Amino acid sequence: MTISTAPAPEPTSADRTPGTARRPARRHRHAREWWLAALLVSPALALAVAFKLVPLVRGVITSMESSAGFGGATFAGADNYLRMLDDPMVITSFRNALMVVATLPVWVVLPLVLAVLIHQRAPGWKFFRAVYFVPYTIAPIVVGIMFRQILAPDGPINAGLRTIGLDPLAIAWLNGRYSALFSLVAVALWSFFGLGVMTYLAGLATIPDEMLEAAYLDGAGFWRRLFSIVVPMLRPTVAYWSVLCASGVLIWLFPLIYALTQGGPGDATMLPEYLVFLTTFTFLDRGYGSAIGIALFVFVAVLSIFSVRHMFKEGTRKPR
Amino acid sequence: MSRRTTARLGRYLLTFALVVVAVAAIYPLLFTVISSLKTQYGFAEDPLGLPTAGVTLENYVEAFRRMDMPRLLLNSLITTAGGLVLSVLAALLVAYAVTKLRFRGGKAVFLLIIITLTIPSQAIIYPLYQTVLDLGMSGEYQGLILAYAAFGLPLGTYQLAGYFQQVPDELIEAARMDGAGHFTILFRLLVPIATPALAALAIFNFVWMWNDLLLPLVIMGGSDSKTLMVGVSLLSGQYDVSVPLVSAGLIVALLPVLIVYLVFQRQLVSGALAGSGK
Amino acid sequence: MNRRRTLAGLAAAGTAAALLLTGCGGDGGTADGPVTLKVLTWEPGGAEYWQQVKSSFEASHPDIKLEMESVPFDKYPEVQGPYITSQSGPDVMANNAGLELFDRRNAYVPLGEQAAEINKDLVSYSGACEDFDTSKNCYGVPFSYQGNVLYYNKDVLAAAGLDPEQPPATWDEFGAACEAVAATGKTCLALGLSGTFPAYWDFPEIARNYLTEDDIRALLAGTISWTDPKLVSTLEKLAEITTSGWANDNAPSITMLPDGADIFQRGDAAFAGTIISDAVNWQAFGEALGDETLGVTRWPVINPDAPLAQKFSGIEGAVYGVTQWSDKKDAGLTFISWLAGKENGELWVEYAKGQPLNTNVDSALLPDSPAFLKIQELVADPTLHAGVMLSGPEADALARGWQQVTLGQLTIDAWAEQMQQALERSPTKQQN
Repeated sequence: MTISTAPAPEPTSADRTPGTARRPARRHRHAREWWLAALLVSPALALAVAFKLVPLVRGVITSMESSAGFGGATFAGADNYLRMLDDPMVITSFRNALMVVATLPVWVVLPLVLAVLIHQRAPGWKFFRAVYFVPYTIAPIVVGIMFRQILAPDGPINAGLRTIGLDPLAIAWLNGRYSALFSLVAVALWSFFGLGVMTYLAGLATIPDEMLEAAYLDGAGFWRRLFSIVVPMLRPTVAYWSVLCASGVLIWLFPLIYALTQGGPGDATMLPEYLVFLTTFTFLDRGYGSAIGIALFVFVAVLSIFSVRHMFKEGTRKPR
Repeated sequence: MSRRTTARLGRYLLTFALVVVAVAAIYPLLFTVISSLKTQYGFAEDPLGLPTAGVTLENYVEAFRRMDMPRLLLNSLITTAGGLVLSVLAALLVAYAVTKLRFRGGKAVFLLIIITLTIPSQAIIYPLYQTVLDLGMSGEYQGLILAYAAFGLPLGTYQLAGYFQQVPDELIEAARMDGAGHFTILFRLLVPIATPALAALAIFNFVWMWNDLLLPLVIMGGSDSKTLMVGVSLLSGQYDVSVPLVSAGLIVALLPVLIVYLVFQRQLVSGALAGSGK
Repeated sequence: MNRRRTLAGLAAAGTAAALLLTGCGGDGGTADGPVTLKVLTWEPGGAEYWQQVKSSFEASHPDIKLEMESVPFDKYPEVQGPYITSQSGPDVMANNAGLELFDRRNAYVPLGEQAAEINKDLVSYSGACEDFDTSKNCYGVPFSYQGNVLYYNKDVLAAAGLDPEQPPATWDEFGAACEAVAATGKTCLALGLSGTFPAYWDFPEIARNYLTEDDIRALLAGTISWTDPKLVSTLEKLAEITTSGWANDNAPSITMLPDGADIFQRGDAAFAGTIISDAVNWQAFGEALGDETLGVTRWPVINPDAPLAQKFSGIEGAVYGVTQWSDKKDAGLTFISWLAGKENGELWVEYAKGQPLNTNVDSALLPDSPAFLKIQELVADPTLHAGVMLSGPEADALARGWQQVTLGQLTIDAWAEQMQQALERSPTKQQN
């Protein structure tokens, strides 16, 4: 960490003058700093306000209007929200969302296990680390279209299952009520587990080797070292990754639904984010679509509250 | 069994498990590449095997032709690079202001930006489109670039703010004593320190902006400015496409990001290391 | 260090390029010089046909240039929707005739008295007009004819011991035929239940056995309930197709276009219910299977005495209209008038292999494949197309309900209930 090597200009007299003259200088500096701060902050604020907050507010307003078709809009109060409570498709979509959230433990544990295995530094570990990240770089729409072929009844997965003798498992994956949702989540997990592995590896790298060495010399076995040292030290990383998944998983699924199932069969893989899309663009019901969108926002916000709080504290914390 | 044998068995099992997962990670990609090299009839006859009927590049040629690939690549490049640069710049400025400048409202601004992370694009897609339209930017590059920047901002702000927080105030004071102005401090002192985070952020943003579908679909539609991903999704919906043709389109769509990843792997790893290993 | 410089350099170049090109992102179109018409379409008929349209039209109209924005059919709503609500974008757009067009009529300029003049050479154009009534407002120009037929593979039928020249004509005969086909290991009817295809391609063929023309008009107006016995019977028969095992097992999770049609095209199915124009029609199948192997017939009849049972569900194809917000309305009108003309009709036959509406099309140009000739017989006796009377929500509910019934998750009555709810939330139908 080196300071800039620019030639230091002569210190101005304003900074050097001691005594009473310093106070006005400091207040003057603070005032200047406020303008500067405002300037520096404005691009980011403008972006956040214009492209996220303003649309959110407009969404709330539209959700309280009855604006179907291409006609105008009339104020309708909470009608759209009340309608949501009775609508089986909305209820199913949120129920599916809960089922997806229930799979989060797998999202948290699987990459952890793989990261620990890689961390053993068996020969070729760099190769595995690189390969596991590749699925993450592939666009979700591409992943969705790819897996349409792979999950087909005579596709490679079923062919593979048949060759190893697991014939009964070679079903039409996208055809069943639960198997479709399961397949969707599995594909999403395939996409993102590499990111999790990378995150955990970064966390594992912070564990000082000396600790592990010392434990090994003390006679602690692999499992003992894992549970007594590694896992406790990884807690912040686990927390970070868990919250990232919790707030992100629903969002990550949208392009996959779009490409793979369109919410089907029936509404087996209908999730709120896809329902918003369908309602707004196919059913031409903007008001209702906005209401579902706001409900989705609330759902995601609740899941993300912990991450937001954590990030805020981290970001405003002074260095130790 | 002796301890050494157990250890060796453990090693084999470990490697085996890793290999199985690696195959699962790579196979779909391989399958798509192989499919893209088959002819339509070759695929119909043997969808799963190697292209024994003959390897062909005609699918790539056709995909290029149908998708107007050069234009799409350019569109994606412009919007992604623009969104990336704008997002990182805005995040840099705000992270510096919030962490290193004393002014009232700093924490509030930071909180506001972080909170927008909870707003998913799908929840506000229609009002977002309306806003882009009101600004006169629909179907134009700037509309998408600004939208991308806004969505990449919160995470970038958080990462960079975290980095800048680690820099002791004394260092900043010392630089200021030496007469360094704010921009000097930011760009010659803090940015070099934050390079790993910047690199990781750049790659992360590049990946999701390049790969995104919903924002470009709604903001750019099917116009000439549409991005590569929109082009790919449109290709797969056309009337007379075949699986090999779509596969070729998919491979072309995912290659740029894959290449960026393979080339900048080390930066990514060290960035990830620095980013979450606090 | 070097990598960082490269990254920075790339980023700077990228921003510069972005800034430069944002200036060029917009569309030119000065007052002098050719007018550029933006046309939004899903390119029915294929890319080659539309290239011919562009070159032919621009050749005879040097002062108008065409800029096509093509979006596949299943992505069309989400691209067209924002344009309509924001009252901006293309100058000429397309929509399927029937309710899809009516729902969006606010976006189009009514042709008024010119409608009769422009469309005078067309066999019919009522699908472009309100309530299918040419004395009311017409919103655009159709130039192709569309409808549903059942294609079949003569070889597959023969292998199952059936007469390839006498495909099954009644529901019971069809059932027996399917048993025979299934015994040879092939799929009887290739089917996909996702998307809007069940509403447009399958529903009308069954509905004709139960509905009269007045009923179909009531469907359009939303005055007939989905719990009406006629419609429930239709739903029952639709369900029977999949629950009796006539279709491929994975029908609930695939779309007819392209996956369902693909099953037929590969020779793995005996029958496929698709359309006469635009795509997956006699031309595409003829190429895949061979013109002599391809047969065409009607969907099997359930009630031979029903008034519409032996007719053809015919509808104009895509309707092209000028948008309300266009500032080039005259040029737009010139273009769509040309679309109704003989020149375009002949291009449609030659390059799109479609069914033209223009009566002056040179009959020598019409193809002579046996399938096409048979289709000419079938289209001779048309009636209203029940599918285009369904709104977006109804078409969606039809598909999803059918998927769920097939998988045993829903009863027919519950499906009818869902359809009725979909009807009640359809914007246009609420107003009636």
